[in-house]
Amino acid sequence: MAKSNNVKIHVSHLKKNFKKLEVLKDISTDVYEGEVVVVIGPSGSGKSTFLRCINNLEEITGGEITVDGMSLTDKKTDINKLRENIGMVFQHFNLFPHMDVMRNLTLAPVDLKKASKEEAAERAHQMLQKVGMEDKANAYPSQLSGGQKQRVAIARALCMEPDIMLFDEPTSALDPEMVGEVLQVMKQLAADGMTMVIVTHEMGFAREVADRVLFMDGGYIVEEGTPQEVLLNPKEPRTIDFLNKVL
Amino acid sequence: MVLILTKYGHLLLNAMGQTVLLALCGLFFACILGIFFGILGVMNNKICRAIDKVFVDVIRGVPLIVLAYFVYFGVPYFMKNIVGNPITLSALQAGTICLALNCGAYMAEIIRAGIQSVDKGQMEAARSLGLPWWRAMYRVVMPQAIRTMIPSIINQFIITLKDTSILSIIGFPELVNTAKNVVANTFMSFQTWGIVAVMYLIVIEILTLASRALERRLNRGKE
Repeated sequence: MAKSNNVKIHVSHLKKNFKKLEVLKDISTDVYEGEVVVVIGPSGSGKSTFLRCINNLEEITGGEITVDGMSLTDKKTDINKLRENIGMVFQHFNLFPHMDVMRNLTLAPVDLKKASKEEAAERAHQMLQKVGMEDKANAYPSQLSGGQKQRVAIARALCMEPDIMLFDEPTSALDPEMVGEVLQVMKQLAADGMTMVIVTHEMGFAREVADRVLFMDGGYIVEEGTPQEVLLNPKEPRTIDFLNKVL
Repeated sequence: MVLILTKYGHLLLNAMGQTVLLALCGLFFACILGIFFGILGVMNNKICRAIDKVFVDVIRGVPLIVLAYFVYFGVPYFMKNIVGNPITLSALQAGTICLALNCGAYMAEIIRAGIQSVDKGQMEAARSLGLPWWRAMYRVVMPQAIRTMIPSIINQFIITLKDTSILSIIGFPELVNTAKNVVANTFMSFQTWGIVAVMYLIVIEILTLASRALERRLNRGKE
């Protein structure tokens, strides 16, 4: 892929506690521009928390994260500005149910004055086309299937023209026959050179699309490397154990 | 019955007007207090949440009748004898303060609960797009929360309208107070209180019908 030597996300010695519970104990890694990183691991291993720390949905307890050279813990960093650059897709889509698809897509760009109404609408149409949903521009979220909702959610994130996309188990809440259409959109995005961090249980997708796979367990990155290395020739017993269970 | 209606009807109607006036004044300020404290109650800041909790707990823990005596008699006494800066509150002013505080506390709870009933993912999705907390609240969370709040808010309005009768004890010339005078003059308790009950019933029925229409309207967009 179009991987460069530009570090987009730098994570060093990241710690995250929820009250007394230590969820992330010591996470360090770098994500390069254009890289697709897939995070796998058993539930409760801290994958989602790690992802949510990157755009500060969870405030970090210790260590450091910098995105595009700006530190999340630096008081001078405008978190809202930073988030405009980091799209996020959630397991449960989180579309705004009281707005139609178009309004879901144009709300943030217009409200944050990134674009005029007309520009935002034009971009929204382009993004809907990209995810194959242009015929549903005026539908409400409740009228869409799970797969359609998730594709709209991806389009919504893309409307802010982010450099980085975070995916938090984007296919876990979908019926099996709808998983493919969402993964297809994500593959396209990866091929376009988007920097992506994806938490998923789709091992086939990880093998096909990831530049690098992180296996997390118990708040640590236990093993990382190319899909070849981690998924096909794992070295750590915990990775082997996990892969035996899911494959 | 007829005697009361012909002789005292206009008095009772005027008093109903005073009741509605007091309720409207109280509700107006109660809405402001309710929104203010309700939003404090959902903020990330612990101190803000604590302020909301103390306000709600204190007001909810004091009966309206005690609050009314306290505001109307207690506070002017305190200002005159202890601060040395005498103030006088009219019965309307004192009544408005009492209703605003009392109803405001319940409204704060309704608004807080309404906001919290909206899935957390909504706020997160809005924030992840770069919207600041206030914009996300205003654009995404509030419009959804209001739908669930409306029935409870109307219910609270009805309760507050009826609670105006408690303020007869500080001499505000609302319906109950006036009715007492009518009974004192005519000795016709049954007829007078019957008429008063029907008057309340009519006003509250109008409110109820309006609230049902509003609910239907709000639910129309929901598929």
